[in-house]
Amino acid sequence: MENSARETNVVEMNQNTPSTRAKVQAFGGFLTNMVLPNIGAFIAWGLLTALFIPTGWIPNEELAQIVEPAIVYLLPLLLAITGGRMVAGQRGAVMGAIGAIGLIVGSDIPMFLGAMVIGPLGGWVIKKFDNAMENRIPAGFEMIVNNFSLGILGFLLMILSFYFIGPVIESANNFVTASIEALVATGLLPLLSLINEPAKVLFLNNVIDQGIYYPLGMQAAAETGKSIYFTVASNPGPGLGLLMAFTFFGGKTARRTAPGASIIHFFGGIHELYFPYVLMKPLTILGMIAGGMSGIAVFSLFDAGLVAGPSPGSIFAYLGLTPKGSFVGILAGVLVSAVVTFFVTALILKMGKNSEEDEELSESIEKSKSMKQEGKQIYTSSKKDKSIDKISFACDAGAGSSALGATTFRKKLKKKGIEGIEVKHYRIEDAPQDSDVIVVHKDLLERAKIAHNDKEIITIENYINDPNLEPLMERLESSRS
Amino acid sequence: MLAEHLEGNVRFLESVNTWEDAIKEAASPLLYKGSITPEYIDAMINNVHTNGPYIVIVPGIAMPHAKNENNVVKTDVSLLKLEQSVQFPEDKEVNILFVLAAEDSDGHLDLISDLSSVLIEDEVKEKLENSTSEQEILDLLETVE
Repeated sequence: MENSARETNVVEMNQNTPSTRAKVQAFGGFLTNMVLPNIGAFIAWGLLTALFIPTGWIPNEELAQIVEPAIVYLLPLLLAITGGRMVAGQRGAVMGAIGAIGLIVGSDIPMFLGAMVIGPLGGWVIKKFDNAMENRIPAGFEMIVNNFSLGILGFLLMILSFYFIGPVIESANNFVTASIEALVATGLLPLLSLINEPAKVLFLNNVIDQGIYYPLGMQAAAETGKSIYFTVASNPGPGLGLLMAFTFFGGKTARRTAPGASIIHFFGGIHELYFPYVLMKPLTILGMIAGGMSGIAVFSLFDAGLVAGPSPGSIFAYLGLTPKGSFVGILAGVLVSAVVTFFVTALILKMGKNSEEDEELSESIEKSKSMKQEGKQIYTSSKKDKSIDKISFACDAGAGSSALGATTFRKKLKKKGIEGIEVKHYRIEDAPQDSDVIVVHKDLLERAKIAHNDKEIITIENYINDPNLEPLMERLESSRS
Repeated sequence: MLAEHLEGNVRFLESVNTWEDAIKEAASPLLYKGSITPEYIDAMINNVHTNGPYIVIVPGIAMPHAKNENNVVKTDVSLLKLEQSVQFPEDKEVNILFVLAAEDSDGHLDLISDLSSVLIEDEVKEKLENSTSEQEILDLLETVE
């Protein structure tokens, strides 16, 4: 029983992680995992937009038709599908997409944040339903119950989200408009960033730019030939700083995609490209606010302004719309805002990263330890401090060997009188994100690690009586008794 | 359930040359009956090539299967018992092959559940390993169902 002793050691090692921190990190990881796989779609859309819209590099009316549907439907649906899949596998993905279409049609702005809420929510609904129905469906009726439950629940979610989102957007618009008007009245223009930056990421940028700032700007420009209001929300500096910070201090994948995104953002003026990075690490909005504020402060210091609303907000549009005498002020404002955002964001990313690195480090230490243990491949990772109530057996197709493993394990639990533990089988990539333990055949470990790097993975070679499952069984027994 | 499906699908052979042959021989009753198409056999073999011999579910027993990509006509199972074991990759010796062809991912779960009941009891598993006729195997399965 040398095996089980070792396992207990690992559990203790991990128990000194404070659970709130773990939870915050898990949530952050969840957001990142929902956004990151879809960055490619954002880039595709950004390239298309920068090139083909009427104010783009090579305007093309025909191709520009794709721009609107892609940002309204494609991108939010992708986020919702990924979010739903993370909670409840393929069924969750379908449910998330159904919910998101209600939101999308019910509102007239791109529903990114909404999709990131409704996706996982849809997954959660179907998961709860499936849990409640588990083992109650008469044999042979699984297909019909599964399809109709998803259909009916999705139908309801679709309608709910459709009626729910309209009023929410309207009140958010009203709130933003009222706040901006109040701030403008104080004369402290840099404070505007407090509202601008979050509102932009939530896709209320058209509301604020075209609804408030451009009219204000046109009034001023009619009198003095230029206005600072054209710059307060369209400055491409902060976005550049943010993406640069991700380029140098972001996580592995973010680091690789951020440089490309920054080019499309800064030169193409497609600000939407940086939104996913903020959504991924919401704290970085502080960097955006700090940059936006310093930009506005510099613009007002130099009494700089633009002659019209820059659209898209690229550095070239800025330079093209800068009147004589404002060049220094405009360039300084863009530059300062980029630098400030870069440093604040870098600080935030570094703070977050230290703990991540700690974890990575401890993970790799554990990994090398377990690798030393000849023949036994227990791949352990951070998520051990929590009690186990969901075990997922996974294999290539999710139908054969994983089902055999799960069935056998359930029988053994029943024999021992252990209740309340969900044991199910999945395709590796579909195993739900909230699984506490994932069991795979040792030949499939690499694939399981790609999909579930943050989870405890147990490898087996024998689906009926594997020695690596014994410590797990013992842990379950001791925690339930 | 399992016994019902296996009826007429059990074969006994002295030996085969390769594990690929073992899978082909084991699946032949299903092909003959029209439960699967020849592509399903290739898919099962490729599965081992890509993912390794994880279909060897316990020492000595393999459960060849693959995803249904329009090559399973009807959920079915077959069994091949070899007198002399055949070697799967990673030096895994196998003498019982239990071919699983599942139409969708749910319909065959009671078959798997029965198989699990057989393998979980050492005594039943031993009897399976020592059986010499189809009837013996079917009778054995009926006792656990």
